[in-house]
Amino acid sequence: MFILEKIAEYAKTDRVALINRNERLTFAQMDAYSDAVAACLLAQFGAEDRTPVVIYGHKQTEMLPCMYGALKAGRAYVPVDITVPADRVRDILDTVKPKLFIDLADICSGGEIPADLYGQRVDTAAVQQIFAEYAGQKPDASHWVQDADPCYILFTSGSTGKPKGVPISKANLDNLYREFSAWVADAKGDVIMNQISYSFDVSVVSVYVGMALGKTLYTIDKGMMENLPELYEKLATSQIAVWVSTPSFAEMCVVSPRLDANLLPQMERFIFCGEVLTHKLTETLFARFPGRAVVNTYGPTEATVLVTAMEVTQAMLEDTRPIPIGIPLNEVRFAIVDEAGNELPEGETGELLIISDSVSAGYFGRPDLTAQRFLEWKGEGCVKRGYRTGDAVYRLGQYYYFCGRIDFQVKLNGYRIELEDIENNMMRVTNVARAVVLPVSKEEKIDHLVAFVMLQSPSQLSALKTGLAIKEELKQYLPSYMIPRKIVLRESFPINTNGKVDRKQLALELK
Amino acid sequence: MKMEETKIIEALCEICGAEPEDLEGDMELFEEGLLDSFGVISLFVELESIFGVKLDPTEVERSVISTPDKLVAFVLEKL
Repeated sequence: MFILEKIAEYAKTDRVALINRNERLTFAQMDAYSDAVAACLLAQFGAEDRTPVVIYGHKQTEMLPCMYGALKAGRAYVPVDITVPADRVRDILDTVKPKLFIDLADICSGGEIPADLYGQRVDTAAVQQIFAEYAGQKPDASHWVQDADPCYILFTSGSTGKPKGVPISKANLDNLYREFSAWVADAKGDVIMNQISYSFDVSVVSVYVGMALGKTLYTIDKGMMENLPELYEKLATSQIAVWVSTPSFAEMCVVSPRLDANLLPQMERFIFCGEVLTHKLTETLFARFPGRAVVNTYGPTEATVLVTAMEVTQAMLEDTRPIPIGIPLNEVRFAIVDEAGNELPEGETGELLIISDSVSAGYFGRPDLTAQRFLEWKGEGCVKRGYRTGDAVYRLGQYYYFCGRIDFQVKLNGYRIELEDIENNMMRVTNVARAVVLPVSKEEKIDHLVAFVMLQSPSQLSALKTGLAIKEELKQYLPSYMIPRKIVLRESFPINTNGKVDRKQLALELK
Repeated sequence: MKMEETKIIEALCEICGAEPEDLEGDMELFEEGLLDSFGVISLFVELESIFGVKLDPTEVERSVISTPDKLVAFVLEKL
């Protein structure tokens, strides 16, 4: 596999693969530690076993060697970030049933994860012991993941209230690298940003493409995000040349006037993915980083991170239309279809279908959901996999433009959220009878979420305290980014002619 | 002074999704989940546009603005 071969190649140099605060891993260490993890997996569970390895943690230095180690032993890994609450970790473990659970952030110490959900658990100390105990062992490349094998499984918000897993195969990742790596390789500088959590697939740009190009991943963790003075201190010494993030993270950073080419003199290009890129952010970056490239990309997790790329131009900023989501990568074919599945002409808005070798085989253990969204596309002498994105899109010339969702999925601060997922989990909260969650937009994109809540019985507390109590309890079930900012208590909901809650009417109340 | 204080609290409430009468002066904004990094940024942007004062979030520790009272004192100092 390209990434494993490349790591082994750079391992012969003294190149640095990862900077994580005061810790550094060279490519040689990355190679050796991942070999040790693979050797351990093969020794403990055999070469035939293919059960995915679940890795819980954040940006710990041990994360990447464990991830690549799983690949070297022919297993997929499931990265689960610390923002995921115990209830969801239980769901994921129950779905994957891992033989090895690597717990780098001690979620098990709280007693909330029953031990029968996994085979064996190892913590950070045990992982370091594996690095030492299996040092020098080099499992043969014949054990590595093969074309159709999943490399990682990412769990995303599901409308039923349970997360669903998206497996991405070696062939999918090979395709991403083949099609997109030039956009990263064009930067001369050595350092690429490693900010996106590993359980969110925009991180793959750094972890696969950046790493395979021999770049140094510079880690920005949750602690830095919560301590902005520290974040800027780190940025100033980072030497980052390739910025990879959601637009939201960059929007947060540019609020300080200090974020400019003086603070980041090596900066060459910004690569954005995961949500709408606004005119305002792009204008700010053009002004603060003259001559540097801003690259917009687009893609769902189901199609391996991104399937478009495009450098934003001054003309796009002067256009009143939104910034295009990009131009499909060479191998990728886009079809915009109406409700009957007929392809629409240029300029007309319909659902976007992605036809590409980057499209996943389907949801993990969910043939029912897979059949709803994935398809086989016959055309131009070949059969390729297709995915119905649920995104409403139109095309003008070579550019594609996003105009919202055809369902209840939203992107907030780069996170993909099914509003029904939040609603279903809110109804698990004490005294909540019904909940309707709506997005509130500001300047081209969603700013926050508001929940309208009907209680089972009147609360003795003030509205704010009641709302805070609901939010607190909801944290047991949902990651913090899915908790609505505002809770509005209602005695009843408006009903539309179909007998359903009238979301449009509720949305008007937010204006 | 009272006028500025009201404006600061209103801006804070807008970000937290709270009503001014519900907010207590010594509430721990971060611990209670009323503010996070994104919230602070939005709040500073809002306060800048109201008062025309430069507030750089990268120069402010969380502890300095962790309650409504502390936030008001911090902003008034800058005016």
